[in-house]
Amino acid sequence: MSGRVIVITSGKGGVGKTTASANIGVALANTGASVCLVDMDIGLRNLDILMGLENRVVYNLVDVVEERCKLRQALVKDKRMPNLNLLPAAQTRDKTAVDADQMKKLCEELKSMFDFVLIDSPAGIESGFQNAIAGAEEAIVITTPEMSAVRDADRIIGLLEARKDEITQYRLVLNRIRPKMVANADMMGVDDVLEILSIKLLGVVPEDEDIIISTNKGEPVSGTDNTRSGLAFRNIARRLRGEEVPFMDLDAKTDTWVTKIVNFFNPVRV
Amino acid sequence: MQLLEWLFKVPNGTAAVTAKDRMRNMLVHDRLELPAGKLEVLEEELTAVVARYFDLEPDTTRFDLQQMDRKAALIANFRLVRSKC
Repeated sequence: MSGRVIVITSGKGGVGKTTASANIGVALANTGASVCLVDMDIGLRNLDILMGLENRVVYNLVDVVEERCKLRQALVKDKRMPNLNLLPAAQTRDKTAVDADQMKKLCEELKSMFDFVLIDSPAGIESGFQNAIAGAEEAIVITTPEMSAVRDADRIIGLLEARKDEITQYRLVLNRIRPKMVANADMMGVDDVLEILSIKLLGVVPEDEDIIISTNKGEPVSGTDNTRSGLAFRNIARRLRGEEVPFMDLDAKTDTWVTKIVNFFNPVRV
Repeated sequence: MQLLEWLFKVPNGTAAVTAKDRMRNMLVHDRLELPAGKLEVLEEELTAVVARYFDLEPDTTRFDLQQMDRKAALIANFRLVRSKC
């Protein structure tokens, strides 16, 4: 088997890399593919928490690289789906614990075992990021519609472009879109960001309080029905598998005096 | 009065447009990795070259750095009065 190695990266921290990794991983596994999530944020381990697997971590990525355990021993199988696995980061080491060659070797081994190897990259553009992309053939760039996040995403795209030979495809996930603010022209929308970054779109995820709830439960939202963000992540997984899925209609109507009164008496979450 | 204003005020946000304009400008410079002040020097030199061949209408020369896909384009606009040749 030769799976696909996809790195999930953003430049800026806090835009949703780890959340996206967990959710895309769960959604891909739900389509029947075998998936391994790799937490490359060495020293700041978080992906295990989002997956609800923090109590089952025994060995980690650095243990594998330093040959204190076999790769299979370090993989944590998800309790809900046997075809979903996590390779956790070390919490007590730092970004220098692994180098690019070790990462390439690890990715080679993982892609012989899984259909999808999803690498959750650390923030920044230094060694941690360089190592995270070392073994990848595809990239998902995450940003929110904020200026600082878009600027950092642009820098990441520039760095990915410089490695065209290794990373043959990169696409954008625009996270935490707030349709009402976009409709009121208070913040940039999907088209604005796409035009600025000149990059192909993989998915759009609306801002959603359910993400916070699902993180607290350790159950990624893409595994449960009835949430907009969960549907958005499931669509991303389907597009990754080559399906043509139309982008979600996130157009909110601007408020009229009628909706203002209705909303006043019946506040809804947006 | 305030209630009426709240009810009938049409959203007229401009923050998105401002953000987009600022982003475009910022990223064009980011991508070129252009040291501060260099563009101004180039513009002066370009103007001097054109001015050797033409009389230019004073204070009308415009330079604009624009985004074209992920590359940049420098658009120069000289108003020519007559040839000097």
